[in-house]
Amino acid sequence: MTAEYDVEFVEREDRDARFLVRGVTPAFANGIRRAMVADVPTMAIDTVRFVENSSVMFDEQLALRLGLVPLTTPPEGEFVEDDTVTLSIDVEGPATAYSGDLVSSDDLVQPADDNVPIIELKDGQRLEAEADAVLERGKNHAKHQGGVAVGYRHLQRVSVVDDLPEFEEQESQIVRGVIEDDGELVPTSEFDHDLSNRYPGKQVEVEDVPNAFVFRVETDGSFTVEELVTRAVDSIEARATELEDAVQL
Amino acid sequence: MSYKCSRCKRDVQIDEYGGVRCPYCGHRVLLKERSRDVKEVGVN
Amino acid sequence: MELRVTESTENELSIEIAGEDHTFMNVLKGTLLEHDDITAATYDVNPEQSGGQTEPILTIKTVEGVDPLEALEEAAADVRGKTTAFRDAFEAAA
Repeated sequence: MTAEYDVEFVEREDRDARFLVRGVTPAFANGIRRAMVADVPTMAIDTVRFVENSSVMFDEQLALRLGLVPLTTPPEGEFVEDDTVTLSIDVEGPATAYSGDLVSSDDLVQPADDNVPIIELKDGQRLEAEADAVLERGKNHAKHQGGVAVGYRHLQRVSVVDDLPEFEEQESQIVRGVIEDDGELVPTSEFDHDLSNRYPGKQVEVEDVPNAFVFRVETDGSFTVEELVTRAVDSIEARATELEDAVQL
Repeated sequence: MSYKCSRCKRDVQIDEYGGVRCPYCGHRVLLKERSRDVKEVGVN
Repeated sequence: MELRVTESTENELSIEIAGEDHTFMNVLKGTLLEHDDITAATYDVNPEQSGGQTEPILTIKTVEGVDPLEALEEAAADVRGKTTAFRDAFEAAA
């Protein structure tokens, strides 16, 4: 059985994208979604050594905040689970310690954003710490979750059935996601999610297109959307290969 | 164990038999300082 | 991934697939059901808090003359075919 898929991007940025996949079964679509959320490993801080912390927060609280800072994750194969990267931070008040103050020992592993506040330090307060980042999966801790907003919806086909009766008031009809109108893909945000804006005076019919799903994927900055999707697919493939090998024995 | 006198701000070592008292100014309120060790914390 | 056969007859197989969850099991089950010579395919998982059996158990029933283990091997190959096709289609669009 060979599957025929067709992928088309609707919206696309590095960290945020929307794309349509045709020919995919609900089971497979959900497998990919779940793999994106829980099975694609990312780097995150796991251990922190505090040299000095005279801030108003406990070491453990700051460790948690440091752990939640998204770090860029190197390409597949560069790192394996159990490898560590050391990052250090040294900020003296009065100032706010930001994720951008973290200095990494590896160019490939850097804070994905520089402007995540960690703590505000008053005059005389100081934070000096060293942290180890590890590669892990979202399954083990949310800080290792590369996909932060991952989901899909059916593609909806909208067709005009008839004109509205002359004296009938048109009611608003809300749809969210992406619609297909005569083969053209239109995000519903273009008409304020209301079909009565796009088809004034018309009677329309909306139906789910079978096996066509519009994925919405947003990453935490660990990698691009393309990376996340391909790594998720890779992880499912690796398991299929493993099962095939195990059954053959 | 190192403490700091809350009045004269000097470092004080507590003498087990001398009671809680600053040897420099006689003040009886001492503040316990954070240890100077590096502390390792796991992210949970 | 560790496999342990819990029940096996001519046309029925129950197998424990250790270390997997819904992510892979549902894809596998869905793929198994696409085959005409598989009459039934299902899996069962218990939550971690339940104690006892927590690894998923896959059960396959096949028509006469078809080895369920072979059907499973074929389905695993199918999943691999799907992932390859998906990656190709995705990369072509990206």
